[in-house]
Amino acid sequence: MFSGFFRIIKFSFQEIIRNMSLSVMTVLILILMLLSINTLMVVKVLTDESVAAVKKQIDVSIYFNPEATLDEIQEIRDYVSAFPEVEKETFFNSEEVFANFKKSYANNPDVLSSLDEIGTNPLGPTLIIKTRDPKDYTKIITALSVPEYENIIEAKTFGDTQTAIDRIHVITTNVQKFTYFLTILFAVIAFIIIFNTIRVAIYTQRTEIGIKRLVGATNWFIQGPYIVESFLFSIISVGLTYLLVDFFLKFLDLYISVIFEKNNLLSNYLSQNLVSIIGIEFGVVFLLTIVSSGLAMRRYLRT
Amino acid sequence: MGSSPVIGSIVDFFELFIVQKIFLCYDIYHMITLKSVTKKYSADSTGLSGVDLHIENGEFVSIVGQSGTGKTTMIKLLIAEEKATSGVIEVGGWDITRISNSDIPLLRRQIGVIFQDFKLLPKKTVAENVAFALEVAGEKRSRIKQVVPRVLDIVGLVHKLDRYPHQLSGGEQQRVAMARSLVHRPKILLADEPTGNLDSINTQEIIDILKKINEFGTTILLVTHNREVVNQLKRRVVTLYDGRIISDENKGKYRL
Repeated sequence: MFSGFFRIIKFSFQEIIRNMSLSVMTVLILILMLLSINTLMVVKVLTDESVAAVKKQIDVSIYFNPEATLDEIQEIRDYVSAFPEVEKETFFNSEEVFANFKKSYANNPDVLSSLDEIGTNPLGPTLIIKTRDPKDYTKIITALSVPEYENIIEAKTFGDTQTAIDRIHVITTNVQKFTYFLTILFAVIAFIIIFNTIRVAIYTQRTEIGIKRLVGATNWFIQGPYIVESFLFSIISVGLTYLLVDFFLKFLDLYISVIFEKNNLLSNYLSQNLVSIIGIEFGVVFLLTIVSSGLAMRRYLRT
Repeated sequence: MGSSPVIGSIVDFFELFIVQKIFLCYDIYHMITLKSVTKKYSADSTGLSGVDLHIENGEFVSIVGQSGTGKTTMIKLLIAEEKATSGVIEVGGWDITRISNSDIPLLRRQIGVIFQDFKLLPKKTVAENVAFALEVAGEKRSRIKQVVPRVLDIVGLVHKLDRYPHQLSGGEQQRVAMARSLVHRPKILLADEPTGNLDSINTQEIIDILKKINEFGTTILLVTHNREVVNQLKRRVVTLYDGRIISDENKGKYRL
């Protein structure tokens, strides 16, 4: 039994080396499939990051009436923070708003001179609200659009940006749906291509399988080397794919850091999820090659 | 031909087994028995119909007949590559009519088979091809290292151990196949048109080896349609026609 196991390992190495072109071809196809799956992983990370970045840009400003008292403002702030959807609320008093306003129009002497003409600070305090998801803004706005607050709140910017927010929501959900669809599509294509590659590889060996059976080899003795080969091909292809992906991600990160203002976004994602990514990819490739070779070989092992 | 070095070394080979007391004791009278065996491939395609045949221990039987008369079907039934539609098949006293799939390898390790197309593993060397038959049976490494060169010496190929099949001539390939089939010390050797792809010199060499193996006690079933071979052998000849035995003569001639 033990010597049988060693013989099976010996045969699998022999077959890999003596059928080098077929082995290289099989590993190449596995690598190509793994690369396309990894490309989708990159696309998913980038869309998630873009969606998050876009969502971050959206907030709702509540402009208070300059006459509103601190108590009234505090009441609204407490009320708003009580919503579980609210991620953050930032308050600026009249002076801060005025200073910010002047700062943002520092290059516009017309605006500044007209402000000087007024002499006093015409701007009221402002509350900037960020929710976890853009679609929650409606809820906050509705809650604040009650008669009691009409005198306190002068304006809400949300009214103007609502359509924009809705559109961004639609776009981001669709982009994510599309990446999921692409992932499934690529997975199916990868499955079919790997299955067929293995089937062709087994097909070219069908006479050998028949001869081995005629000489009195058990099915286990015939199938064993293919299982070991599947194992080796999976290790080699996942290993090489990792090296390629790691190299390309480092390269891509240089460009991405400019867009998202984050360094090593993709490389970090890979290293943080290394065990699960490599583990899942190896598991799937190994299982797929074993199942494919088992199915392809079944008919040649019958008699 | 009897003085050729190939034949001379066969004696050494069988002595090897005798010395090691592993030569098989043939106490079975009927080595091969077919009792009203019928093989139908489909409703209108019959391989064999109602064949009765007894081959005794140590016999050298030629099975002759035209193409498609059931000669190869008989070989396939004997190595359980096909199962009989009805009837009983016994090999060495073992009823293999309803043999289980897990027992088929055991059966095949006890029967040597050679074919017209040699059936060598193309990606294995001569020595590896012969060794493979022992490796599948779980034979020890040391024993394999000892036996393989000796068997290849018998067929005159000990100097080509590391060649691949495609580097050999047809006759040489068939001799490798014979070495592989003999390496188990089989009780029975089935030869399915072994000379079909060979010229007359190589044919004679293969037949001489078969005769010598038979002299040492192995039962041989030779399927052929080579008239000269059959007529020269002057042994038992079974003629098949349309799946039936139409003649069975002890010192027969090729009649078709």
